[in-house]
Amino acid sequence: MTRLRAEGLTLGYDGRTVVPDLDVTVLDRKVTAIVGANACGKSTLLRGLARLLPPKRGAVYLDGRSLADLSTLDVAKVLGLLPQTPVAPDGISVADLVSRGRYPHQGWFRRWTERDHDAVARALDATGTADLVDRPIRELSGGQRQRVWVAMALAQDTDLLLLDEPTTFLDINHQVELLRLLRALNAESGKTIVAVLHDLNLACRFCDHIVAMADGAIVAEGPPTEVVTAALVEKVFGMACLVVPDPVAGTPMVVPA
Amino acid sequence: MTATMTPPKTAPAALRLSRRRRATRSLAVTGTLAVTVAALFVLTMMVGSFRLSPTEVIASVLHLRDDPSVDFVVRGLRLPTAASALTAGLALGASGTIFQQLLRNPLASPDLVGIANGAGLAAVLGIVVLGVGGLAVSGLALGGAFAAGLLMYLLAWRDGVSGYRFILIGVGVAAFFDGIVGYVLTKAQLFEARQAMHWLTGSVGQASTSELRLLAVALVVLLPAALLLQRPLRTLELGDDAARALGTRTELSRAGLIATAVVLVALAVAVTGPIAFVALVAGPIANRLLGPATGGILAAAFVGAALLLTADLVAVHLMPTPLPTGVVTGAVGAPYLLWLLATTNRQGAGG
Repeated sequence: MTRLRAEGLTLGYDGRTVVPDLDVTVLDRKVTAIVGANACGKSTLLRGLARLLPPKRGAVYLDGRSLADLSTLDVAKVLGLLPQTPVAPDGISVADLVSRGRYPHQGWFRRWTERDHDAVARALDATGTADLVDRPIRELSGGQRQRVWVAMALAQDTDLLLLDEPTTFLDINHQVELLRLLRALNAESGKTIVAVLHDLNLACRFCDHIVAMADGAIVAEGPPTEVVTAALVEKVFGMACLVVPDPVAGTPMVVPA
Repeated sequence: MTATMTPPKTAPAALRLSRRRRATRSLAVTGTLAVTVAALFVLTMMVGSFRLSPTEVIASVLHLRDDPSVDFVVRGLRLPTAASALTAGLALGASGTIFQQLLRNPLASPDLVGIANGAGLAAVLGIVVLGVGGLAVSGLALGGAFAAGLLMYLLAWRDGVSGYRFILIGVGVAAFFDGIVGYVLTKAQLFEARQAMHWLTGSVGQASTSELRLLAVALVVLLPAALLLQRPLRTLELGDDAARALGTRTELSRAGLIATAVVLVALAVAVTGPIAFVALVAGPIANRLLGPATGGILAAAFVGAALLLTADLVAVHLMPTPLPTGVVTGAVGAPYLLWLLATTNRQGAGG
């Protein structure tokens, strides 16, 4: 059963087409990584799937209905996105920011309910940011800040969660921590997770499904062991390498030749 | 419960405490500001060559007593000015903070981005070229503000709204309008030029009752609208992508907020002429007071009203000769603007 898929999807900016005619199915209740070289269209595809970028041709279907037919609000109740460079307004506290994730579930006049409280509390606990509750965002380190943004996406309480390069500015311990968190979310609540990742090794280690892209098209997709081979890395990244099993997890590990 | 108790470590308890603290702060600050504004409102009508007591003023305003001499002074002479300062201050404060939050820049004030200048140009053209006065001038000012707002929208919004680009375009638009105003004034007869200059300096004393009523009605409609729109504003603050991911209709909400802010500032300028810096300063002052509950539009509106009422008090009663309100706000606002520019660049947060 797949809830999110794209058919004949063509995406682009102004006159430029970045992703021509792409078909992709997001595996339900799995953690998927979209990988590829810079400017291959990974973020564009993710934004198209998240309804941030209207398709030039083709469509994205959520629960069988085209995204274009659904309201932004309805989509936000089911599909969450952590954008690439989120902006935090000056002086905002952690609690305030995470609480904004409840926006799609609150009406114009309906204020804070117990459900909202529980969702935010759970999100804070899951990301380990409960003790940062009153701190202003600008005082936090990069790793902490990213966890808070993830907490906001979690508070949104959606079945599907898309993340655009969530690990890019984090040091390695925070990258691993974040991916472990995503893995745990998937295991505990069956959340469908799709993340654009730069680190191929971490992607193999923590994800069920890899989608490798080059020049706006999907060159390979499948479980890490099938997809990540020396031939593919050569094709997608133009780099010669050796692929060996990770000594800890046994997943493919790319070693530059 | 001692004050040095360590904060609760569990998420639900910490969250509850944090929210309660913020709500209390917001309520306390907004409430205090409201009381301050009310006090200043009454004070403004108490002072003058004929001093009155607070009870006399309040009784007269609320039509509780019938004392002809007091009523004449209060309702006839002082109430229009006080009401101008109150309503224009509310409108400028709210409008300023909406602009600043929407554009994520403390310099993004309707003062600086040409809207007031557009109103000024239209008003001056009306006075000098068409020879009209009173309500017609206000109407033209309104139209001029809208036109300037639309121009800014077309020039700047399409390409993104944050950073110095928007400010620069606004400064350019303002300079353009000011240039035309200057030219028109040189071509005018002395009497009309003086009238135009008087209007341009901005003063709460120049409004007529019909203009005031219009502004008051607009406030009654638009302030609640602004408060409602504060909800999507909270998501727009996080960037367009995050806002859309949270289910906000970004273009619609932004248009609604801009329209509300432009109408508010346009009406304020129509009533009092362009009064500098109130819209720029009200939001940051309110945010400083609100602390973690930052961004309250109502608080900013009250700060605007308090500033304008105070400026009027100072301008009329505390200066050696009575000055237009705009001069006082300019004298205070200019150093603030310089300070803001200096500290913004130091922190590296300048656009």
